[in-house]
Amino acid sequence: MIPTQLRQELEERVAQAITPREAAVDVMKGLQGHYGWLTDEAVAEAALILGLSTLQVEELATFYEMIYRRPVGRVVVHVCDSISCWAMGSETLLHHLEQHLGIAAGATTADNAVTLLPCCCLGNCGNGPALMIGDRLFGPVSPEQAAAIIAGHREDQ
Amino acid sequence: MPKLIIDDIPVEVPDGTTVLEAAQSVDIPIPHFCWHPALGKAGACRVCAVKLLDGPVKGVQMSCMLPAMDGMVVSTTDDEAVAMRKSVIEWLMINHPHDCPVCDEGGECQLQDFTIAGGHGIRRYDGRKRTYRNQYLGEFIEHEMNRCIQCYRCTRFYQEYAGGTDFGAMGRAAIVYFGRQDDGPLESPFSGNLVDICPTGVFTDKTARFRARYWDYDMAPSVCPHCSLGCNTVPMARYRELLKTTARRNDSVNGWFICDKGRFSNAGVNAPERPRQALVGGKPVSLAEALDALATLLGEFLELHGPESLAIVGSPRMDLAGNIMAARLREMLGAGTLCLFNETDRAELTGKAVSLLTTENSSSQEDMRNADLIALEGCDLLDEAPMMALAVRQAWRSGARVYMVGTQNEIQSAMAPPFTKGGPGGILQQDQTANPPQSPLGPRGSFVKGGHNREATALPFAFEQVASLADVPLAEAKRPVIICGASRTGLESIGEILSDSTASFDKGGLQPALKLAFILDGPNAFGCAELARRHHGVALSTALADGRIKGIISFEADLSHDLPQGITVLGAADWRPTGLMTRAGVVLPTTTWVEQEGIFVNNEGRAQRFKKVMNPGLPIKGLTPELHPPRVHGIDAPGGDVAPSARLIAMLMQRLGETMAVEPLSGPWETLKDLDATGAGVMIHKGEQE
Repeated sequence: MIPTQLRQELEERVAQAITPREAAVDVMKGLQGHYGWLTDEAVAEAALILGLSTLQVEELATFYEMIYRRPVGRVVVHVCDSISCWAMGSETLLHHLEQHLGIAAGATTADNAVTLLPCCCLGNCGNGPALMIGDRLFGPVSPEQAAAIIAGHREDQ
Repeated sequence: MPKLIIDDIPVEVPDGTTVLEAAQSVDIPIPHFCWHPALGKAGACRVCAVKLLDGPVKGVQMSCMLPAMDGMVVSTTDDEAVAMRKSVIEWLMINHPHDCPVCDEGGECQLQDFTIAGGHGIRRYDGRKRTYRNQYLGEFIEHEMNRCIQCYRCTRFYQEYAGGTDFGAMGRAAIVYFGRQDDGPLESPFSGNLVDICPTGVFTDKTARFRARYWDYDMAPSVCPHCSLGCNTVPMARYRELLKTTARRNDSVNGWFICDKGRFSNAGVNAPERPRQALVGGKPVSLAEALDALATLLGEFLELHGPESLAIVGSPRMDLAGNIMAARLREMLGAGTLCLFNETDRAELTGKAVSLLTTENSSSQEDMRNADLIALEGCDLLDEAPMMALAVRQAWRSGARVYMVGTQNEIQSAMAPPFTKGGPGGILQQDQTANPPQSPLGPRGSFVKGGHNREATALPFAFEQVASLADVPLAEAKRPVIICGASRTGLESIGEILSDSTASFDKGGLQPALKLAFILDGPNAFGCAELARRHHGVALSTALADGRIKGIISFEADLSHDLPQGITVLGAADWRPTGLMTRAGVVLPTTTWVEQEGIFVNNEGRAQRFKKVMNPGLPIKGLTPELHPPRVHGIDAPGGDVAPSARLIAMLMQRLGETMAVEPLSGPWETLKDLDATGAGVMIHKGEQE
């Protein structure tokens, strides 16, 4: 169950939209903000709020990279693996972070603090290799800088 | 009208035609997966590449995405285009299993055909294949996701064309999954079309899996008998067993699709309890002996009670020739009553509906798809004529306004829950436990999804509710269609509208474009109403009510009420095990629609011929060794001593002394003699043959 206030906020967002589907990403992000990830329960709640079927919410949820359908750590690090960043060394960056965090790409650290996710283009091609944490973009980052950025976010949590 | 040249052939096509369609119009095939005539383009598969040598666009292009333009010079055989198509096929085949021999789709697979046509034979990729888990999608459709080539046809059909909400495309990039959120039966009443529309074997007909290859099937153009719409089908049979039914394109009627009721109601044809043995007084005899006995019985009966005490009963379920012959038999016997409908109301209302229709004002499903306003009155589309709901949805998708006549209560009781949310996707669902099926076809042949609780699905379009037909702004529309159940209130209000519209049309007012569609009861209800009008038929209830009838002979009739015990059932002919068959002195087993040629006249008055698909007889599957192979010499298969009702009646008439050969399609029906089973059909409205 989500708090009534959040439900009302999301319903207002849907009411403002020309078609409910257009508000789907905002609704999913709102629910993800509440649960930490988009749980099955959240998918059903989003479907109710949007007037879509759960399948239709699932279609959108699994399309968008920043909507998590599995549990994630408190900090989610997206490392761009698209072509510009790849040319600038994103593979090396990702490997370094895997070693630094002691997890494989796609996994979460044992203390549930950090999830490392390779992702497609962050729209930061001029500043590759790039990474993104929450709503903040970083780039170009060296492996050392990246480790420091992650450490900083870990402390904030 | 752009003019272009494709492979040295000059082509002129209407504006908006794609290069792919332009090529098809001159019989140049271009491979395609994602493009489908009913769904349009998606640009997803990249296999329809052609090269433009000259004109406004140049180079390799996707022919399904490119509108034909003046001055284009297109080559489908250019080396660059051929190489591109070959590479695309190889790429589509990377994850596709190389196991056509053990795939149910093998032999009827577009991917298989285009892979071979594209010249990809040797596999170069030796990496791991992407694999998926399949889902349970119900008792009718098997899911094999590993075969998927991501053409998106299934989800485009299911959600966009048919308005389903429980099946779609999930994921992205290299991992796209087409399925439901959880395992479970597909909810759309049109889900079976996934089998036809999938270009490969992701969706196959579970009821007929691994039973035959495409080249093994007995098939022929046919017409669906499960409601009054007359959708075109291709039934497929093997070894005297009707295995599956697929949709057959008819742009005027069903377009490319059929409903699940039409597709998955094959069991009755193969049913072990189906009457296949002629009986006299419960004793097995040959069909010829049964007819002899019936002729004798009939003679005695007529002598004893007189011809006015006999009713000849036909049925809207029986093909036109059978009903024509029932009328001839009545004529020959000199009196008696011809009953083509059971109920007085049904006969009267069907007759009234048919009398309101003309060739000009009768709405086809195509007219519905192209309508800009549709009014629905007194009908439950998904139950009585599912394909009409699909047709209305297409109109609604193109912006047509849809009105439902009736009060909230009437609408709710007449059908699944109404829309509360406007816009696509606002379809509500309601749990409803269906009664377990009594027979394979369920009551009145209605379709019950095997063993599962069927979730009642709402209509796949939004509508406005109005209190009466007079509140529908028909005059504002250019191509309005009224769809009406053959009910008294519906017919009355339509009568009013018609008289109003003629009046105001005379004053230069209302449009002449108003079209009507009635949902009738049975695949040949229109034909029966026409015959009843010509031959002064009355409903069986009416005939019984005046007390003169003492005996009946029935042909493929379903009696919805119990026949009074005093009425002798001299003979009954049917392929369905009805209650009448157990009471009949003489039981005559008939062929089903797939075992004979015939004509059904659909709800719009369109006569459509269906061809014989298979020979009658007990399916070989399930036969005991005593029956297969047959130990007795004979030309008929076991259980094959059956005949179409029309022929049974003709043979009976010969035994009764008719000396002339009786041809059903003669006199006013002569025009239907050369009716082409693969054409659009012929309209037979009142006066067309008179």
